[in-house]
Amino acid sequence: MLRIQNVSKTYPNGTQALKNVSFDVADGEFLVIIGLSGSGKSTLLRCINRLIEPTEGKIIWDDVDITAASPAELRKIRRTIGMVFQQFNLVKRSSVLTNVLSGRLGYANPWTSLLGIWPQEDIAQAMQALERVGIAEKAHSRADALSGGQQQRVGIARALMQNPKLILADEPVASLDPVLSHSILQYLEQLNKEGITVICSLHFLDLVHRYATRVVALKDGVKVFEGSAKEIDRAKFKEIYGEEAQEVRAASL
Amino acid sequence: MPLPRLLRNTLITALVIAAFVISYRVTEADFPRLFRDLPKGRELLTAFLTPDVFTRDLETRTVSIVFPVPCGSASVEEVFPAEGPRLVPSVNCAAPLEKFTLQGFDLQPNSEVVIRWRLPDERTMTAIRTQTDANGYFSQEVQARPIQASVNGVASRLEVDTLTPVGGLKPSQALKDVLDNMFVTIFMALLSTTLATLIAAPLSFLAASNITRKGCFGTGVYYLFRSFFNLMRSYDPLVMATVFGFWLSFGPFPGFLALTVVTIASLGKLFSEAVENIDPGPVEALQATGAPPLHTVRYAVVPQIVPDFVSYIIYHWDINVRISTIIGFVGGGGIGYYLNLSINDFKWNQAGTAIWAIVIVVWAMDFLSAEVRKRLT
Ligand SMILES: Nc1ncnc2c1ncn2[C@@H]1O[C@H](COP(=O)(O)OP(=O)(O)OP(=O)(O)O)[C@@H](O)[C@H]1O
Ligand SMILES: [Mg+2]
Repeated sequence: MLRIQNVSKTYPNGTQALKNVSFDVADGEFLVIIGLSGSGKSTLLRCINRLIEPTEGKIIWDDVDITAASPAELRKIRRTIGMVFQQFNLVKRSSVLTNVLSGRLGYANPWTSLLGIWPQEDIAQAMQALERVGIAEKAHSRADALSGGQQQRVGIARALMQNPKLILADEPVASLDPVLSHSILQYLEQLNKEGITVICSLHFLDLVHRYATRVVALKDGVKVFEGSAKEIDRAKFKEIYGEEAQEVRAASL
Repeated sequence: MPLPRLLRNTLITALVIAAFVISYRVTEADFPRLFRDLPKGRELLTAFLTPDVFTRDLETRTVSIVFPVPCGSASVEEVFPAEGPRLVPSVNCAAPLEKFTLQGFDLQPNSEVVIRWRLPDERTMTAIRTQTDANGYFSQEVQARPIQASVNGVASRLEVDTLTPVGGLKPSQALKDVLDNMFVTIFMALLSTTLATLIAAPLSFLAASNITRKGCFGTGVYYLFRSFFNLMRSYDPLVMATVFGFWLSFGPFPGFLALTVVTIASLGKLFSEAVENIDPGPVEALQATGAPPLHTVRYAVVPQIVPDFVSYIIYHWDINVRISTIIGFVGGGGIGYYLNLSINDFKWNQAGTAIWAIVIVVWAMDFLSAEVRKRLT
């Protein structure tokens, strides 16, 4: 259970990216966060694992206050939270395998891993993770030799190395060809069915309808909707996205 | 134009002209001399252009005959051979200072000939040098010794050495010395670049804003190292070498130290900029996995900076070869020092060898560093 309680974030330049946002995420949910560009989706996701420090509020994960954790405790918490990024955030010049293995750094022996030496079971797990996302044969390619869709699958494999209980995905398909979106989201859906909680920000409403078990909408840093995807009718849509907005479907692109 | 402005402009123009005149005077600029001194320069240039690079072994063969000076001061009891390598003087003896012709037959062909007097007390005096033709023949006018050269009835002799180059070309002593000194210079540059890299690489992370500049302490460290690099960088290596030279007495070591310090600063600055220019995405991703900070740097930062680092290191090695040549010139050892010595000894061909070596090495380093850097991206 993840509880987000009255979280606000004001950036040093004065931008108020989140304003008193609260909601709970039950274990096993596929929660989708929607909202216009600049509404605070990335900020919210990064507050959960404190890549960004929230200015106010608490985030409680399995009865542990993440916001109060010491640096060492925070690292332990982060190990159980995988993260997938819009820009994949792979080390381009490193091999796919090394990128996947680096997801294991929170657990690995600090001395040998610093030297780049990995135990056989970690390598086996990495190969298994790559097999799950269907690119085991690319293990020894350089990461930047892969297509965008393949790179995102490496990103997912890296998150899998953490044996995560929660995956945060910040617009995981926004940099990809829309037709590839489903192939990526299906991996996340599969993991979700195996019991991993997923919190994911998305742009296209048809994807939201297809994958979300629940939706939270942000507008200018304020939570303006919380409920199931079906509840987003025309009026709600206009409220979230503004009067000018037209619904665009990934499938129609 | 209003008068004050006109006045001001005139004043500025006058000052600029004055500045030019003064600088012309102090630099003793004398452009016509460039042409007037051309013949002198050409001689030097020829020496430089014919560097001392190869030699061949010389085989020396000697033939001699008795030749009393003056006539009758000693008996001539030798039989002159009629064939084989032999010397045939136009007279069998001569009065002091008398001129006669000496011919040589069937000697070593195309060889340098040294004609000598061998006096009874075993002293030798070189009379003259000449050259044999393709048949081993020479003919040369020789002047007899100025005073009596035979003692107690023992005649003075005429000796002729033929010096024939044998075997293939081999490197001259100058070339060997130049290569030795070049190695000193190249390795002095390599060692100082290596040492500087070992020190600058870790420090550069402390001077990179995206790594260090967090919190009060981090910001302090960041500014400390940044200003350290900037300060050290502004010193010229030559000036630094001179300072170290007074402290540690001149030689390769102070030059090496000066080069190292300047390289640390320069590489530190370049390295920290490379660190600052990385893609922050992978760093964020690894922080999110709970990786410790050092491991985040190792896995997310290091792979991104390796090409830049390597290219800067090679670039600096290239620069340091040039600088250590110059430092050598002011007493820091290596090829620069050797060049300085050669010039002071007026050994222009030897200096030419050194200059050619410098040109070739600098060119090769330049080419190599450009090639490697091209491949790295
Ligand atoms: N580091 C920062 N410093 C200052 N302001 C920031 C920073 N990061 C984000 N912001 C601002 O905070 C607000 C929310 O940004 P955020 O990136 O969370 O939005 P988003 O919903 O993820 O948008 P997008 O769909 O474009 O990714 C925006 O107004 C943005 O300009
Ligand atoms: Mg975003």
